[in-house]
Amino acid sequence: MPREAEPSLNEKQFVIQALQENLRLDGRELDQYRPLELSFGDQYGLADVKLGKTRVLAKATAEVTVPYTDRPLDGIFTIATELGPMTSPAFEVNRPTETEVLLSRLLEKTVRRSGALDTESLCLVAGQKCWSVRVDVHVLSHDGNLIDASCLAVVAALRHFRKPDTSMEAGVLTVYTPAEREPVPLSWLHSPFCVTWSFFGEEGEIAVLDATWIEEQVRVGSCTVSLNKHGEICQIAKLGGTPVEAVALLQCVSVSLTKVKEFSDLLDRKLAEDLKRRDKGGFMAELRAENDR
Amino acid sequence: MPLDTSTYNLALLRVDGRRWNELRRVHAQIRTQAAADGSSYLEMGHTKVMCVVTGPSEPGPRRGTGGGGAGGGGAAAGAGAKAEVVVSIVIAGFSSVDRKRHGRGDKRTLELQSTVANALAASLHTHLFPHSQVNISLHVLSQDGSLLAALINAATLACVDAGIPMTDYVAACTAGSTSTYAANDEGADPLLDLNHQEEQELPGLTVATLGESDRVVVLVCESRVQVSRLEGMLAVGVDGCKQVREILDRVVREKGRRMVQEGTVEKGIGLNEMDVD
Repeated sequence: MPREAEPSLNEKQFVIQALQENLRLDGRELDQYRPLELSFGDQYGLADVKLGKTRVLAKATAEVTVPYTDRPLDGIFTIATELGPMTSPAFEVNRPTETEVLLSRLLEKTVRRSGALDTESLCLVAGQKCWSVRVDVHVLSHDGNLIDASCLAVVAALRHFRKPDTSMEAGVLTVYTPAEREPVPLSWLHSPFCVTWSFFGEEGEIAVLDATWIEEQVRVGSCTVSLNKHGEICQIAKLGGTPVEAVALLQCVSVSLTKVKEFSDLLDRKLAEDLKRRDKGGFMAELRAENDR
Repeated sequence: MPLDTSTYNLALLRVDGRRWNELRRVHAQIRTQAAADGSSYLEMGHTKVMCVVTGPSEPGPRRGTGGGGAGGGGAAAGAGAKAEVVVSIVIAGFSSVDRKRHGRGDKRTLELQSTVANALAASLHTHLFPHSQVNISLHVLSQDGSLLAALINAATLACVDAGIPMTDYVAACTAGSTSTYAANDEGADPLLDLNHQEEQELPGLTVATLGESDRVVVLVCESRVQVSRLEGMLAVGVDGCKQVREILDRVVREKGRRMVQEGTVEKGIGLNEMDVD
Protein backbone atom coordinates (compact mmCIF):
# COMPACT_ATOMS: atom_id res chain seq x y z
CA MET A 1 0.00 0.00 0.00
CA PRO A 2 1.58 3.31 -0.98
CA ARG A 3 1.78 5.88 1.72
CA GLU A 4 1.94 9.63 1.57
CA ALA A 5 5.32 11.16 2.38
CA GLU A 6 5.18 12.43 5.92
CA PRO A 7 6.30 15.91 6.85
CA SER A 8 9.69 15.89 8.50
CA LEU A 9 10.17 16.39 12.22
CA ASN A 10 11.41 19.93 11.63
CA GLU A 11 8.41 20.86 9.54
CA LYS A 12 6.07 19.44 12.15
CA GLN A 13 7.70 21.33 15.00
CA PHE A 14 7.76 24.53 12.96
CA VAL A 15 4.04 24.36 12.28
CA ILE A 16 3.16 23.54 15.87
CA GLN A 17 5.38 26.20 17.39
CA ALA A 18 4.02 28.82 15.02
CA LEU A 19 0.47 27.88 15.93
CA GLN A 20 1.31 28.24 19.59
CA GLU A 21 2.29 31.82 18.81
CA ASN A 22 -1.01 32.29 16.94
CA LEU A 23 0.73 32.27 13.57
CA ARG A 24 0.00 30.18 10.51
CA LEU A 25 2.33 29.40 7.65
CA ASP A 26 0.21 31.28 5.12
CA GLY A 27 -0.36 34.28 7.38
CA ARG A 28 -4.04 33.68 8.01
CA GLU A 29 -5.90 34.23 11.25
CA LEU A 30 -6.73 31.03 13.14
CA ASP A 31 -10.41 31.29 12.20
CA GLN A 32 -9.93 32.47 8.63
CA TYR A 33 -10.61 30.44 5.52
CA ARG A 34 -8.36 30.43 2.49
CA PRO A 35 -9.69 32.34 -0.51
CA LEU A 36 -12.73 30.44 -1.68
CA GLU A 37 -13.60 30.28 -5.36
CA LEU A 38 -16.81 28.78 -6.63
CA SER A 39 -17.64 28.46 -10.30
CA PHE A 40 -20.26 26.63 -12.32
CA GLY A 41 -19.82 24.82 -15.61
CA ASP A 42 -21.73 25.31 -18.85
CA GLN A 43 -23.90 22.32 -18.07
CA TYR A 44 -26.36 22.40 -15.22
CA GLY A 45 -25.15 20.74 -12.04
CA LEU A 46 -21.40 21.14 -12.36
CA ALA A 47 -19.70 22.96 -9.50
CA ASP A 48 -16.01 23.60 -9.06
CA VAL A 49 -14.76 24.67 -5.63
CA LYS A 50 -11.26 25.95 -5.04
CA LEU A 51 -10.15 26.48 -1.47
CA GLY A 52 -6.52 27.55 -1.66
CA LYS A 53 -4.82 24.66 -3.40
CA THR A 54 -7.61 22.22 -2.62
CA ARG A 55 -9.89 21.72 -5.60
CA VAL A 56 -13.07 19.68 -5.69
CA LEU A 57 -15.41 19.12 -8.62
CA ALA A 58 -18.97 17.89 -8.12
CA LYS A 59 -21.33 16.82 -10.89
CA ALA A 60 -25.00 16.11 -10.38
CA THR A 61 -26.88 13.87 -12.81
CA ALA A 62 -30.36 12.40 -12.91
CA GLU A 63 -31.91 9.42 -14.61
CA VAL A 64 -35.25 7.65 -14.45
CA THR A 65 -35.15 4.29 -12.65
CA VAL A 66 -37.27 1.94 -10.58
CA PRO A 67 -37.52 2.94 -6.88
CA TYR A 68 -36.43 0.64 -4.08
CA THR A 69 -39.16 -1.82 -3.19
CA ASP A 70 -39.16 -0.85 0.49
CA ARG A 71 -39.53 2.87 -0.39
CA PRO A 72 -41.95 3.05 -3.33
CA LEU A 73 -42.77 6.74 -2.77
CA ASP A 74 -39.20 8.03 -2.58
CA GLY A 75 -36.73 8.84 -5.30
CA ILE A 76 -33.11 7.74 -5.08
CA PHE A 77 -30.36 10.11 -4.02
CA THR A 78 -26.74 9.03 -3.82
CA ILE A 79 -23.46 10.80 -3.24
CA ALA A 80 -20.39 9.06 -4.62
CA THR A 81 -16.96 10.19 -3.50
CA GLU A 82 -13.85 9.29 -5.34
CA LEU A 83 -10.33 9.82 -4.10
CA GLY A 84 -8.11 8.59 -6.89
CA PRO A 85 -4.35 8.46 -7.29
CA MET A 86 -4.54 11.84 -9.02
CA THR A 87 -5.37 13.42 -5.68
CA SER A 88 -2.52 11.92 -3.76
CA PRO A 89 -0.38 8.81 -4.13
CA ALA A 90 -1.84 7.47 -0.89
CA PHE A 91 -5.21 6.90 -2.52
CA GLU A 92 -5.81 3.85 -4.66
CA VAL A 93 -8.71 3.07 -6.93
CA ASN A 94 -11.21 0.54 -5.54
CA ARG A 95 -9.66 0.47 -2.12
CA PRO A 96 -11.36 3.06 0.05
CA THR A 97 -9.07 4.47 2.71
CA GLU A 98 -10.30 5.62 6.07
CA THR A 99 -10.29 9.23 4.83
CA GLU A 100 -12.59 8.35 1.97
CA VAL A 101 -15.02 6.36 4.11
CA LEU A 102 -15.26 9.13 6.69
CA LEU A 103 -15.66 11.76 3.98
CA SER A 104 -18.49 9.94 2.27
CA ARG A 105 -20.21 9.21 5.58
CA LEU A 106 -19.99 12.87 6.55
CA LEU A 107 -21.43 14.06 3.23
CA GLU A 108 -24.13 11.45 3.50
CA LYS A 109 -25.11 12.56 6.99
CA THR A 110 -24.85 16.26 6.20
CA VAL A 111 -26.74 16.37 2.93
CA ARG A 112 -28.80 13.20 2.65
CA ARG A 113 -29.88 12.35 6.17
CA SER A 114 -30.60 15.96 7.11
CA GLY A 115 -33.25 15.96 4.36
CA ALA A 116 -31.73 18.75 2.26
CA LEU A 117 -33.20 17.24 -0.89
CA ASP A 118 -36.86 16.35 -0.84
CA THR A 119 -36.67 12.77 -2.12
CA GLU A 120 -40.44 12.39 -2.25
CA SER A 121 -40.55 14.98 -5.03
CA LEU A 122 -38.36 12.67 -7.13
CA CYS A 123 -41.11 10.07 -7.33
CA LEU A 124 -42.81 9.94 -10.75
CA VAL A 125 -45.06 6.87 -10.61
CA ALA A 126 -45.35 5.28 -7.16
CA GLY A 127 -43.44 2.01 -7.05
CA GLN A 128 -42.58 2.08 -10.74
CA LYS A 129 -40.67 5.15 -11.84
CA CYS A 130 -38.61 7.69 -10.00
CA TRP A 131 -35.67 10.00 -10.53
CA SER A 132 -32.32 8.79 -9.33
CA VAL A 133 -30.17 11.83 -8.52
CA ARG A 134 -26.50 11.13 -8.17
CA VAL A 135 -23.69 13.47 -7.23
CA ASP A 136 -20.16 12.46 -8.09
CA VAL A 137 -17.48 14.17 -6.05
CA HIS A 138 -14.06 14.27 -7.67
CA VAL A 139 -11.19 15.57 -5.60
CA LEU A 140 -8.74 17.06 -8.06
CA SER A 141 -6.17 18.39 -5.65
CA HIS A 142 -5.73 17.77 -1.94
CA ASP A 143 -4.28 20.47 0.26
CA GLY A 144 -6.31 19.85 3.38
CA ASN A 145 -9.90 20.46 4.40
CA LEU A 146 -11.45 18.15 1.82
CA ILE A 147 -14.62 17.89 3.89
CA ASP A 148 -15.66 21.55 3.80
CA ALA A 149 -14.75 21.93 0.13
CA SER A 150 -16.58 18.74 -0.92
CA CYS A 151 -19.67 19.62 1.05
CA LEU A 152 -19.84 23.07 -0.53
CA ALA A 153 -19.31 21.54 -3.98
CA VAL A 154 -22.09 18.98 -3.47
CA VAL A 155 -24.59 21.54 -2.22
CA ALA A 156 -23.65 24.00 -4.99
CA ALA A 157 -23.95 21.32 -7.68
CA LEU A 158 -27.37 20.23 -6.45
CA ARG A 159 -28.68 23.78 -6.14
CA HIS A 160 -27.44 24.54 -9.65
CA PHE A 161 -28.76 21.32 -11.17
CA ARG A 162 -31.89 21.21 -13.36
CA LYS A 163 -33.63 17.95 -14.15
CA PRO A 164 -35.73 17.47 -17.31
CA ASP A 165 -39.35 18.43 -16.91
CA THR A 166 -41.94 15.64 -16.91
CA SER A 167 -45.67 15.35 -17.22
CA MET A 168 -48.24 12.62 -16.56
CA GLU A 169 -51.21 12.45 -18.86
CA ALA A 170 -53.64 9.54 -18.86
CA GLY A 171 -51.07 7.23 -17.35
CA VAL A 172 -48.37 8.14 -19.86
CA LEU A 173 -45.20 9.61 -18.49
CA THR A 174 -43.41 12.06 -20.77
CA VAL A 175 -39.89 13.29 -20.14
CA TYR A 176 -39.22 16.46 -22.10
CA THR A 177 -35.87 17.33 -23.63
CA PRO A 178 -34.36 20.73 -22.72
CA ALA A 179 -35.41 22.02 -26.18
CA GLU A 180 -39.06 21.20 -25.58
CA ARG A 181 -39.34 22.49 -22.05
CA GLU A 182 -36.98 24.34 -19.77
CA PRO A 183 -35.49 21.91 -17.17
CA VAL A 184 -36.69 22.39 -13.59
CA PRO A 185 -34.62 22.77 -10.41
CA LEU A 186 -34.73 20.15 -7.67
CA SER A 187 -37.01 20.63 -4.70
CA TRP A 188 -34.43 21.88 -2.24
CA LEU A 189 -35.30 22.34 1.43
CA HIS A 190 -32.22 23.76 3.14
CA SER A 191 -28.50 24.14 2.46
CA PRO A 192 -26.19 22.55 5.01
CA PHE A 193 -22.48 23.37 5.08
CA CYS A 194 -19.59 21.69 6.90
CA VAL A 195 -17.10 23.59 9.02
CA THR A 196 -14.10 21.60 10.19
CA TRP A 197 -12.06 22.57 13.23
CA SER A 198 -8.61 21.20 13.85
CA PHE A 199 -7.17 21.09 17.34
CA PHE A 200 -3.55 21.53 18.30
CA GLY A 201 -1.57 21.56 21.52
CA GLU A 202 -1.30 19.15 24.47
CA GLU A 203 -4.85 19.79 25.64
CA GLY A 204 -6.29 20.57 22.23
CA GLU A 205 -6.62 24.20 23.31
CA ILE A 206 -5.74 25.76 19.92
CA ALA A 207 -8.68 25.55 17.52
CA VAL A 208 -7.99 26.29 13.88
CA LEU A 209 -10.32 26.55 10.90
CA ASP A 210 -9.59 25.33 7.38
CA ALA A 211 -6.39 23.41 8.06
CA THR A 212 -4.00 22.87 5.17
CA TRP A 213 -2.55 19.44 4.40
CA ILE A 214 0.50 19.94 6.59
CA GLU A 215 -1.61 21.22 9.47
CA GLU A 216 -3.85 18.17 9.11
CA GLN A 217 -0.80 15.92 9.44
CA VAL A 218 0.18 17.39 12.82
CA ARG A 219 -3.22 18.08 14.39
CA VAL A 220 -4.24 16.13 17.49
CA GLY A 221 -7.94 16.07 16.78
CA SER A 222 -10.67 17.46 14.59
CA CYS A 223 -14.35 18.23 14.79
CA THR A 224 -16.69 18.74 11.84
CA VAL A 225 -19.88 20.68 12.43
CA SER A 226 -22.60 20.85 9.77
CA LEU A 227 -25.16 23.60 10.01
CA ASN A 228 -27.56 25.51 7.82
CA LYS A 229 -28.11 29.25 7.94
CA HIS A 230 -31.22 28.85 10.09
CA GLY A 231 -29.03 27.66 12.95
CA GLU A 232 -29.92 24.00 12.72
CA ILE A 233 -27.20 21.47 13.39
CA CYS A 234 -27.32 18.70 10.80
CA GLN A 235 -24.45 16.69 12.13
CA ILE A 236 -21.48 16.95 14.49
CA ALA A 237 -18.55 14.57 14.28
CA LYS A 238 -15.67 14.61 16.68
CA LEU A 239 -14.51 11.06 16.19
CA GLY A 240 -11.94 10.58 18.92
CA GLY A 241 -8.63 12.37 19.13
CA THR A 242 -7.30 14.45 22.01
CA PRO A 243 -10.05 15.48 24.42
CA VAL A 244 -11.26 19.07 24.17
CA GLU A 245 -13.10 21.11 26.79
CA ALA A 246 -16.87 20.99 26.28
CA VAL A 247 -17.11 24.78 26.54
CA ALA A 248 -14.54 25.21 23.78
CA LEU A 249 -16.60 22.94 21.52
CA LEU A 250 -19.72 25.03 22.11
CA GLN A 251 -17.70 28.12 21.21
CA CYS A 252 -16.56 26.40 18.00
CA VAL A 253 -20.16 25.61 17.05
CA SER A 254 -21.27 29.22 17.48
CA VAL A 255 -18.36 30.52 15.35
CA SER A 256 -19.24 27.86 12.75
CA LEU A 257 -22.70 29.34 12.44
CA THR A 258 -21.32 32.71 11.28
CA LYS A 259 -19.07 30.93 8.76
CA VAL A 260 -22.01 28.93 7.45
CA LYS A 261 -23.98 32.13 6.92
CA GLU A 262 -21.06 33.47 4.87
CA PHE A 263 -21.01 30.29 2.75
CA SER A 264 -24.73 30.51 2.28
CA ASP A 265 -24.52 34.13 1.11
CA LEU A 266 -21.65 33.31 -1.24
CA LEU A 267 -23.57 30.42 -2.79
CA ASP A 268 -26.74 32.50 -3.21
CA ARG A 269 -24.73 35.29 -4.84
CA LYS A 270 -22.91 32.94 -7.22
CA LEU A 271 -26.14 31.20 -8.20
CA ALA A 272 -27.78 34.55 -8.95
CA GLU A 273 -24.76 35.61 -11.05
CA ASP A 274 -24.88 32.37 -12.98
CA LEU A 275 -28.58 32.75 -13.61
CA LYS A 276 -27.98 36.26 -14.97
CA ARG A 277 -25.22 34.97 -17.23
CA ARG A 278 -27.51 32.30 -18.69
CA ASP A 279 -30.43 34.65 -19.14
CA LYS A 280 -30.27 35.80 -22.73
CA GLY A 281 -32.88 38.50 -22.31
CA GLY A 282 -36.03 36.45 -22.15
CA PHE A 283 -38.33 34.90 -24.68
CA MET A 284 -38.25 37.71 -27.22
CA ALA A 285 -34.46 37.65 -27.42
CA GLU A 286 -34.53 33.91 -28.15
CA LEU A 287 -36.96 34.41 -31.02
CA ARG A 288 -34.85 37.10 -32.65
CA ALA A 289 -34.07 36.41 -36.29
CA GLU A 290 -30.80 38.26 -36.68
CA ASN A 291 -27.46 36.82 -35.68
CA ASP A 292 -24.71 38.35 -33.56
CA ARG A 293 -22.27 38.00 -36.43
CA MET B 1 -42.79 6.47 12.19
CA PRO B 2 -45.50 7.21 14.81
CA LEU B 3 -44.45 9.54 17.57
CA ASP B 4 -44.79 7.34 20.63
CA THR B 5 -42.71 9.52 22.89
CA SER B 6 -45.25 12.35 22.64
CA THR B 7 -46.81 11.50 25.99
CA TYR B 8 -43.69 12.77 27.75
CA ASN B 9 -45.19 16.19 28.43
CA LEU B 10 -48.10 14.72 30.39
CA ALA B 11 -46.33 12.76 33.08
CA LEU B 12 -42.71 13.73 32.49
CA LEU B 13 -42.00 10.03 32.20
CA ARG B 14 -40.34 8.48 29.17
CA VAL B 15 -41.55 5.41 27.25
CA ASP B 16 -39.66 3.07 29.57
CA GLY B 17 -40.71 4.91 32.73
CA ARG B 18 -37.52 6.84 33.37
CA ARG B 19 -37.19 10.50 34.35
CA TRP B 20 -35.19 12.82 32.09
CA ASN B 21 -31.93 12.42 33.99
CA GLU B 22 -31.94 8.68 34.62
CA LEU B 23 -29.58 6.22 33.02
CA ARG B 24 -30.80 2.78 32.11
CA ARG B 25 -29.47 -0.14 34.15
CA VAL B 26 -25.82 -0.59 33.39
CA HIS B 27 -24.47 -4.04 34.09
CA ALA B 28 -20.84 -4.80 33.37
CA GLN B 29 -18.35 -7.56 33.96
CA ILE B 30 -14.65 -7.75 33.27
CA ARG B 31 -12.40 -10.73 32.72
CA THR B 32 -15.13 -12.77 31.10
CA GLN B 33 -12.82 -14.68 28.75
CA ALA B 34 -9.98 -16.41 30.54
CA ALA B 35 -7.89 -16.87 27.41
CA ALA B 36 -7.89 -13.24 26.31
CA ASP B 37 -5.54 -10.53 27.51
CA GLY B 38 -8.52 -8.44 28.47
CA SER B 39 -12.23 -8.89 28.09
CA SER B 40 -15.49 -7.35 29.17
CA TYR B 41 -19.23 -7.66 28.83
CA LEU B 42 -21.44 -4.62 29.09
CA GLU B 43 -25.17 -4.04 29.09
CA MET B 44 -26.72 -0.58 28.90
CA GLY B 45 -30.39 -1.37 29.11
CA HIS B 46 -30.98 -3.85 26.33
CA THR B 47 -27.86 -2.91 24.39
CA LYS B 48 -25.43 -5.76 24.97
CA VAL B 49 -21.81 -5.71 23.89
CA MET B 50 -18.91 -8.07 24.37
CA CYS B 51 -15.30 -7.03 24.02
CA VAL B 52 -12.00 -8.90 23.78
CA VAL B 53 -8.61 -7.20 23.77
CA THR B 54 -5.44 -8.84 22.52
CA GLY B 55 -2.15 -7.13 22.96
CA PRO B 56 -0.14 -5.05 22.99
CA SER B 57 1.51 -7.63 20.81
CA GLU B 58 3.62 -7.89 17.71
CA PRO B 59 1.57 -6.88 14.69
CA GLY B 60 0.62 -9.71 12.39
CA PRO B 61 1.56 -9.91 8.72
CA ARG B 62 -1.79 -8.38 7.81
CA ARG B 63 -0.65 -5.05 9.21
CA GLY B 64 -2.12 -1.93 7.69
CA THR B 65 -4.98 -3.66 5.94
CA GLY B 66 -7.29 -3.74 8.97
CA GLY B 67 -10.55 -1.89 8.59
CA GLY B 68 -10.54 0.47 11.54
CA GLY B 69 -6.88 0.99 12.18
CA ALA B 70 -5.94 4.13 14.04
CA GLY B 71 -2.36 4.80 14.89
CA GLY B 72 -1.89 6.50 18.21
CA GLY B 73 -2.14 9.86 16.48
CA GLY B 74 -1.71 10.09 12.72
CA ALA B 75 -3.02 7.22 10.62
CA ALA B 76 -0.45 4.45 10.77
CA ALA B 77 2.19 7.13 10.89
CA GLY B 78 5.48 7.28 12.68
CA ALA B 79 6.42 3.81 11.42
CA GLY B 80 5.59 2.17 14.74
CA ALA B 81 6.74 4.80 17.23
CA LYS B 82 3.46 4.15 19.00
CA ALA B 83 1.25 1.11 19.36
CA GLU B 84 -1.49 0.94 16.80
CA VAL B 85 -5.05 0.49 18.04
CA VAL B 86 -7.03 -1.73 15.69
CA VAL B 87 -10.74 -2.18 16.30
CA SER B 88 -13.03 -4.64 14.63
CA ILE B 89 -16.74 -4.60 15.24
CA VAL B 90 -19.09 -7.45 14.46
CA ILE B 91 -22.77 -6.63 14.61
CA ALA B 92 -24.67 -9.88 15.01
CA GLY B 93 -27.54 -10.46 12.59
CA PHE B 94 -29.89 -11.21 15.48
CA SER B 95 -29.00 -8.04 17.41
CA SER B 96 -31.85 -5.87 16.23
CA VAL B 97 -35.55 -6.47 15.68
CA ASP B 98 -35.33 -6.90 11.93
CA ARG B 99 -32.66 -9.34 10.98
CA LYS B 100 -30.08 -7.59 8.86
CA ARG B 101 -26.86 -8.73 7.30
CA HIS B 102 -24.06 -6.34 8.10
CA GLY B 103 -21.22 -6.72 5.67
CA ARG B 104 -17.66 -6.17 6.73
CA GLY B 105 -17.30 -3.20 4.41
CA ASP B 106 -20.36 -1.45 5.80
CA LYS B 107 -19.48 2.25 5.99
CA ARG B 108 -21.32 2.77 9.25
CA THR B 109 -19.40 -0.06 10.90
CA LEU B 110 -16.11 1.28 9.52
CA GLU B 111 -16.95 4.69 10.97
CA LEU B 112 -17.77 3.13 14.37
CA GLN B 113 -14.49 1.21 14.29
CA SER B 114 -12.46 4.28 13.54
CA THR B 115 -14.27 6.28 16.22
CA VAL B 116 -13.69 3.69 18.95
CA ALA B 117 -10.04 3.29 17.88
CA ASN B 118 -9.35 7.03 17.91
CA ALA B 119 -11.20 7.53 21.18
CA LEU B 120 -9.15 4.89 22.99
CA ALA B 121 -5.89 5.90 21.34
CA ALA B 122 -6.36 9.28 23.05
CA SER B 123 -6.38 7.67 26.48
CA LEU B 124 -4.08 4.66 26.10
CA HIS B 125 -0.38 5.29 26.58
CA THR B 126 0.45 3.91 23.17
CA HIS B 127 3.92 5.46 23.17
CA LEU B 128 5.03 2.86 25.74
CA PHE B 129 4.62 0.07 23.18
CA PRO B 130 6.42 0.92 19.96
CA HIS B 131 6.12 -1.46 17.00
CA SER B 132 3.09 -3.18 18.46
CA GLN B 133 -0.60 -3.44 18.05
CA VAL B 134 -3.59 -3.49 20.38
CA ASN B 135 -6.45 -5.49 18.90
CA ILE B 136 -9.89 -4.69 20.20
CA SER B 137 -12.69 -6.84 18.90
CA LEU B 138 -16.22 -5.92 19.77
CA HIS B 139 -19.31 -8.04 19.32
CA VAL B 140 -22.74 -6.48 19.40
CA LEU B 141 -25.22 -9.02 20.73
CA SER B 142 -28.25 -6.81 21.12
CA GLN B 143 -29.05 -3.27 20.06
CA ASP B 144 -31.38 -0.89 21.82
CA GLY B 145 -29.93 2.55 21.25
CA SER B 146 -26.70 4.16 22.47
CA LEU B 147 -24.65 1.63 20.54
CA LEU B 148 -21.53 3.77 20.13
CA ALA B 149 -21.57 4.65 23.84
CA ALA B 150 -21.82 0.99 24.83
CA LEU B 151 -18.99 0.06 22.45
CA ILE B 152 -16.68 2.71 23.91
CA ASN B 153 -17.49 1.74 27.50
CA ALA B 154 -16.95 -1.95 26.83
CA ALA B 155 -13.65 -1.28 25.07
CA THR B 156 -12.48 0.89 27.98
CA LEU B 157 -13.27 -1.85 30.49
CA ALA B 158 -11.50 -4.49 28.40
CA CYS B 159 -8.40 -2.29 28.08
CA VAL B 160 -8.38 -1.83 31.86
CA ASP B 161 -8.59 -5.58 32.24
CA ALA B 162 -5.77 -6.07 29.75
CA GLY B 163 -3.62 -3.87 31.97
CA ILE B 164 -2.68 -1.41 29.25
CA PRO B 165 -1.60 1.87 30.87
CA MET B 166 -4.14 4.59 30.24
CA THR B 167 -4.77 8.16 31.39
CA ASP B 168 -8.28 7.55 32.64
CA TYR B 169 -11.54 5.86 31.78
CA VAL B 170 -13.17 6.93 28.52
CA ALA B 171 -16.82 6.90 29.55
CA ALA B 172 -19.61 7.51 27.07
CA CYS B 173 -23.34 8.00 27.04
CA THR B 174 -26.03 9.63 24.91
CA ALA B 175 -28.22 12.64 25.45
CA GLY B 176 -31.24 13.90 23.58
CA SER B 177 -33.86 16.58 23.57
CA THR B 178 -37.64 16.25 23.63
CA SER B 179 -38.11 18.77 20.85
CA THR B 180 -38.06 17.79 17.23
CA TYR B 181 -36.23 20.14 14.89
CA ALA B 182 -39.50 21.46 13.57
CA ALA B 183 -41.06 22.27 16.91
CA ASN B 184 -39.31 25.34 18.19
CA ASP B 185 -40.72 25.07 21.68
CA GLU B 186 -38.80 26.54 24.57
CA GLY B 187 -39.96 24.01 27.13
CA ALA B 188 -38.01 21.14 25.61
CA ASP B 189 -36.25 19.00 28.19
CA PRO B 190 -32.89 17.37 27.66
CA LEU B 191 -32.92 13.59 28.11
CA LEU B 192 -30.18 11.26 29.26
CA ASP B 193 -29.35 7.88 27.73
CA LEU B 194 -31.68 7.33 24.77
CA ASN B 195 -33.10 3.94 23.91
CA HIS B 196 -33.75 2.80 20.36
CA GLN B 197 -37.24 4.27 20.11
CA GLU B 198 -36.16 7.66 21.42
CA GLU B 199 -33.12 7.60 19.14
CA GLN B 200 -35.40 7.13 16.14
CA GLU B 201 -37.75 9.96 17.02
CA LEU B 202 -35.79 12.59 18.89
CA PRO B 203 -32.60 14.49 18.16
CA GLY B 204 -29.68 13.16 20.17
CA LEU B 205 -25.93 12.99 20.47
CA THR B 206 -23.27 10.65 21.82
CA VAL B 207 -20.65 12.09 24.17
CA ALA B 208 -17.55 10.45 25.58
CA THR B 209 -15.40 12.20 28.15
CA LEU B 210 -12.06 11.45 29.67
CA GLY B 211 -12.30 10.55 33.35
CA GLU B 212 -13.91 13.07 35.67
CA SER B 213 -12.98 16.07 33.56
CA ASP B 214 -15.30 17.96 31.21
CA ARG B 215 -13.04 17.19 28.29
CA VAL B 216 -14.86 15.64 25.39
CA VAL B 217 -13.19 12.84 23.43
CA VAL B 218 -16.07 11.92 21.15
CA LEU B 219 -19.05 14.04 20.17
CA VAL B 220 -21.31 12.60 17.51
CA CYS B 221 -24.64 14.09 16.54
CA GLU B 222 -26.49 12.57 13.61
CA SER B 223 -29.82 14.34 13.73
CA ARG B 224 -31.12 17.78 12.94
CA VAL B 225 -31.42 19.98 16.00
CA GLN B 226 -31.42 23.68 16.84
CA VAL B 227 -28.05 25.10 17.91
CA SER B 228 -29.63 26.40 21.12
CA ARG B 229 -30.45 22.83 22.19
CA LEU B 230 -26.84 21.73 21.96
CA GLU B 231 -25.65 23.29 25.19
CA GLY B 232 -28.31 21.61 27.30
CA MET B 233 -27.81 18.25 25.63
CA LEU B 234 -24.04 18.43 25.97
CA ALA B 235 -24.26 19.40 29.66
CA VAL B 236 -26.57 16.48 30.41
CA GLY B 237 -24.39 14.14 28.34
CA VAL B 238 -21.18 15.14 30.10
CA ASP B 239 -22.89 14.71 33.45
CA GLY B 240 -24.10 11.27 32.36
CA CYS B 241 -20.55 10.32 31.38
CA LYS B 242 -19.44 11.05 34.94
CA GLN B 243 -22.14 8.72 36.25
CA VAL B 244 -21.06 6.04 33.78
CA ARG B 245 -17.46 6.49 34.86
CA GLU B 246 -18.45 5.85 38.49
CA ILE B 247 -20.22 2.65 37.44
CA LEU B 248 -17.26 1.43 35.40
CA ASP B 249 -14.90 2.26 38.25
CA ARG B 250 -17.07 0.32 40.69
CA VAL B 251 -17.05 -2.71 38.38
CA VAL B 252 -13.26 -2.70 38.17
CA ARG B 253 -12.74 -2.21 41.91
CA GLU B 254 -15.27 -4.90 42.79
CA LYS B 255 -13.57 -7.39 40.48
CA GLY B 256 -10.17 -6.49 41.94
CA ARG B 257 -11.41 -6.93 45.50
CA ARG B 258 -12.93 -10.31 44.65
CA MET B 259 -9.73 -11.49 42.99
CA VAL B 260 -7.70 -10.55 46.06
CA GLN B 261 -10.18 -12.39 48.27
CA GLU B 262 -10.07 -15.49 46.12
CA GLY B 263 -6.30 -15.39 46.17
CA THR B 264 -6.01 -15.14 42.36
CA VAL B 265 -3.71 -12.18 42.80
CA GLU B 266 -1.80 -10.91 45.76
CA LYS B 267 -2.67 -7.46 46.92
CA GLY B 268 -0.38 -4.85 45.44
CA ILE B 269 1.51 -7.38 43.36
CA GLY B 270 3.65 -5.97 40.67
CA LEU B 271 3.16 -2.42 41.83
CA ASN B 272 6.71 -2.05 43.08
CA GLU B 273 8.49 -3.46 40.09
CA MET B 274 6.23 -1.61 37.67
CA ASP B 275 8.14 0.75 35.45
CA VAL B 276 6.40 4.07 35.88
CA ASP B 277 7.63 6.62 33.43
